[in-house]
Amino acid sequence: MKITAPISRVEEADVLAAAGADELYCGVVPEDWVDRFGTAGVSRRVFANLRSYAELREAVRRAHDGGARISLALNAQHYDEAQIEALADLAARFEDMGGDAVIVGDAAALAVLGAKGLALGIHVSSIATCRSAESAGFFADLGATRVVFPRHVTVAEMAAVAAAEPLLEYEAFVLNDGCVFDEGACLTLHLPGKLGGPICLDRYDYAYVRTDGRDLDPDERRRAERNEAAYESWLWYRFGCGFSVTADGLPYGPCGLCALAAMAEGGVGHVKIAGREAATERKRRSVEFVREAIGVLDSQGRDALFDYATNRRGEPERCATGFMCYYPEVLPPIPGSTASASPARPAPERRGRGA
Amino acid sequence: MTDAPAIAVTVTTPGNLAALPSAPVLGEALAALGWRRLETFGCEGRRVERLHIGSEYCERLIPAPAELETAVTEAGRLGAALTLTTPMAGDAALARLRRLLPLLPEGSEVVANDWGVLRLLARDFPALVARAGRMLCRMVKDPRLPSETWGRLYPHGLGASPFVTLLGRFGVRGVEMDVAPFARAEDFAHTGLPVALHVPYGSSVKGRICRPGSLHQEGARKFAPGHGCRLECLDYVGEMRRHGAAGLHTFQRGNTIFYRHSKAMEETAAAAVAAGSIDRLVFSGDWNENHRADQPG
Repeated sequence: MKITAPISRVEEADVLAAAGADELYCGVVPEDWVDRFGTAGVSRRVFANLRSYAELREAVRRAHDGGARISLALNAQHYDEAQIEALADLAARFEDMGGDAVIVGDAAALAVLGAKGLALGIHVSSIATCRSAESAGFFADLGATRVVFPRHVTVAEMAAVAAAEPLLEYEAFVLNDGCVFDEGACLTLHLPGKLGGPICLDRYDYAYVRTDGRDLDPDERRRAERNEAAYESWLWYRFGCGFSVTADGLPYGPCGLCALAAMAEGGVGHVKIAGREAATERKRRSVEFVREAIGVLDSQGRDALFDYATNRRGEPERCATGFMCYYPEVLPPIPGSTASASPARPAPERRGRGA
Repeated sequence: MTDAPAIAVTVTTPGNLAALPSAPVLGEALAALGWRRLETFGCEGRRVERLHIGSEYCERLIPAPAELETAVTEAGRLGAALTLTTPMAGDAALARLRRLLPLLPEGSEVVANDWGVLRLLARDFPALVARAGRMLCRMVKDPRLPSETWGRLYPHGLGASPFVTLLGRFGVRGVEMDVAPFARAEDFAHTGLPVALHVPYGSSVKGRICRPGSLHQEGARKFAPGHGCRLECLDYVGEMRRHGAAGLHTFQRGNTIFYRHSKAMEETAAAAVAAGSIDRLVFSGDWNENHRADQPG
């Protein structure tokens, strides 16, 4: 099982490769792109990108020196025609630098890059929302070499896709950064915090109303209140328990460490640590956490992995809620746990904005 | 003078077709589906030529075979052509579609919102007419955008030749679009394919996790990938009020957040229609907000 980890500064290539990352991924916003298009939207993330071709070249060198491969994210939701041409030029330049793969979210851009015959892997970004064998076949036909599954796909669903399209590589989320919606179907922007941040964390009051115009009856009202309380709790878990870490720096959810064994058996050979925008130390500890979990799986097996993954942070009750999981379906019922009731977030911490 | 756009109405629950009179005009159809007030761009008296059945957003709203057979029969009674609308799909949903698509009369349309569905259509069902749905025709549609500048951060590529070429490879005959915040009439003019414009709502973001769909789930089954539901989306709408900040009128239906067009957006749509850029106007029928309770009196 290979670990893929994000960098946003060239120095992080050294740090994360040394921590155990097998592959790195990054974005870049070259000055000529900004000059030409007046936007930093080369990839899905406007921030946390390398700032020049020189930095990109240096990141490639450092990654390879550290024994890691490196991929370039070109994964905005969509591009206009001139941008797709510029994207192809950027990919060719990355190939010349010795880069290993590009990560692409827009099908039209992927088709163009696939037709170029570049000596680069082409990874279907999670932005492309590929979650069926038919969709994987579609992207394979265009030249894709790997599918990064979107969030909110079960391990069984991944395994079915991998079995049906065995020539592709598969990658799945394993740590950090949740999405409330499907990232590939999110046509909103992560606005600056003062303008509301991501829409899933914005300041909306939410109320259920019936489509037939009747008022909610008391049972419906109680059920709605319970659902909203659980939703608030789920959001808190979804965004890393308020973006918090343990005393020794391990990140809280979203997490899929318990599912490593099932993913490996299902044909998922690469696991992704999300969070290009995170601090270097959080990224480093994330890589070390996943590396250690893989080591436990390899040396001691599935049961030991489960014990490790749920206890390593010292708060197994958070894992037991299922709300911290990318793949809650692999979570076995824990005797005496409260997992059958609506999980409550355990602390009076406020969830943050700007995920 | 340009051709007037065709008129279509969406119906998510096929059983609601029974409420429509034969050969309905738009005003009659919308009234039968519960609407009391809606901008119709002067098309109130126009015949409804097409019905869009199904859902663009959720696998669980794909009609059952019996429902689709009923819809085919009802469309015949109403004198309207049929379009089956399909959502983003995993393997389970694709398996259901494989059983469903043979039930459609030859020449029926299918709106695909998933590349896998499009591939399936092109390969196995060439007698059906494919259109690319709103989930494939991506553009920034954030109902909170404070200015046009934000919308230009990521320009859409519906008119880009690689996109049009890709759709052409899969036999796509038209695209479906929303009026995005700060859209201009000319945004609809250069797509390279006939445009179906949805009114009066645009969709901003869709999830697989469903907030109202978790109402009857407990514990870790709430908000989990592939969780079950009782189709709560048919009974409830989530009203969303953004306090302390501007934005379009917004609500959640099922797993999707929608915005209602502002007056300015209605004017943009009208200008695009007048310019002949719109091939079809698709009115939201039974998939709407709480329009009954929202009425005065």
